[in-house]
Amino acid sequence: MRVNGTAVTTPDPARRLLDFLRDDLGLIGAKEGCGMGECGACTVLVDGDPVCSCLVLVGQVAATDVVTVEGIGDDHRLHPVQEAFVDHYASQCGFCTPGVVVSVAGLLAKNPRPAEADVREALEGNLCRCTGYQAIFRAVASVAE
Amino acid sequence: MVELATPTTIEELRALAGSGRLIAGGTDILVQMRDGRDEPSLIDVSNIADGAPAVVITAGVAELSAMAPISAIVSGLAGRLPAVAASARLFGSLQIRNRATFGGNLANASPAADMVPPLVAAAAHVVVEGPGGSRQVPVAELATGPGRTALGPDEWISLIRVPLPEGEDGFLKLGGRSAMAISIVSLAWRWSRDEDGALRGVRLALGAVAPTVVRAPGAEAALEGRAPSDDVVVAAVEALRGDIAPIDDVRASAWYRREVAGDLLREALET
Ligand SMILES: Cc1cc2nc3c(=O)[nH]c(=O)nc-3n(C[C@H](O)[C@H](O)[C@H](O)COP(=O)(O)OP(=O)(O)OC[C@H]3O[C@@H](n4cnc5c(N)ncnc54)[C@H](O)[C@@H]3O)c2cc1C
Ligand code: FES
Ligand code: FES
Repeated sequence: MRVNGTAVTTPDPARRLLDFLRDDLGLIGAKEGCGMGECGACTVLVDGDPVCSCLVLVGQVAATDVVTVEGIGDDHRLHPVQEAFVDHYASQCGFCTPGVVVSVAGLLAKNPRPAEADVREALEGNLCRCTGYQAIFRAVASVAE
Repeated sequence: MVELATPTTIEELRALAGSGRLIAGGTDILVQMRDGRDEPSLIDVSNIADGAPAVVITAGVAELSAMAPISAIVSGLAGRLPAVAASARLFGSLQIRNRATFGGNLANASPAADMVPPLVAAAAHVVVEGPGGSRQVPVAELATGPGRTALGPDEWISLIRVPLPEGEDGFLKLGGRSAMAISIVSLAWRWSRDEDGALRGVRLALGAVAPTVVRAPGAEAALEGRAPSDDVVVAAVEALRGDIAPIDDVRASAWYRREVAGDLLREALET
């Protein structure tokens, strides 16, 4: 498996991808909100597709490319989606934000000019309890060329 | 500790079948295990490289892979099987559709499983593989009760064979909201219309109104051979409410399910 471009080995295939990322690799961007696929705080890209890392076992994705929020931008340069979230106040407590940013980055990689309906579809599985979705939609609209 | 086997060919899967529980997308089984269900060994079916492609269309039949993610089936269908596609598009969220499979939805045998009504309305079959070879089972006979199926412990679903519709088909579901909601009631239909507008070959299937997905024989008979005039619609809706045996649960009362099931049929007949 590659995680954010780096090859990693996975000793226990039956471990949840979320636990492997957070506990073994120290990538704590993906969060555990519900542990059952409902909230999207654990969203990562597997071969470019957003999935809930709480519902995937490492061994099931051992031959894939995984990208977490840490691989979307880097310490020195934010991804345009992240810049836009800052500019549009699209993150309050921030718990949902890594998952939302990954979902949006996944969408934009496939569809640089999404319609609002596409953005809504991409965020169906990401719950935000405090910012509300309007600021998030405004931020995404500003990067969707 | 849980063991996970990851076969990558049908032959490897065949050799392992029966030695543990299958896991495809994991979107049911991992939630159940989190809630305390004990599964010491799992067999992954999401990495079988020599399985069927997501969608193959042959003479009059669409063959859907039971092990491909629902999102791959939606793109592969490209507008065919409108009822199946409508249900698949409303399914869970994008994250869920990228993992969850038709095989998992059918084998999990929830009365509210959303892929089942359009397949039952379409008279679809599943191809079941096992150590002794393969057999076909009508989707309508696969679930035998909530969480129970006619599958043996060493069998798996490889394909779903769905006849292409000759006339119209569709799917409607009512949930608490549009995305990510377990169906309170779902309805799938198939019928054709002759020159006089009379409905022919009417098949209706409903989810979440009985222990398994069910047909609605009374409503089907009330519609068969008739044009859906106001009186016919009223009679069919009444018959449908008598066909089903819903229960009260946390999502809705039996009374509400009966009312809404009838409303969905009226809506289907008006579209
Ligand atoms: C957030 C969320 C939203 C959801 N939304 C919906 C929804 O809108 N509609 C809906 O109907 N369901 C929904 N579900 C339930 C679930 O996603 C579906 O039932 C899904 O289709 C299960 O498929 P899977 O591949 O993930 O199954 P898994 O969890 O991998 O397996 C489920 C069961 O099927 C068996 N199995 C898997 N593949 C096969 C096979 N090929 N042959 C034989 N047995 C097999 C497994 O052994 C297990 O018993 C949702 C779940 C979550 C977590
Ligand atoms: S923690 Fe995975 S969806 Fe909520
Ligand atoms: S910013 Fe708090 S949940 Fe979204």
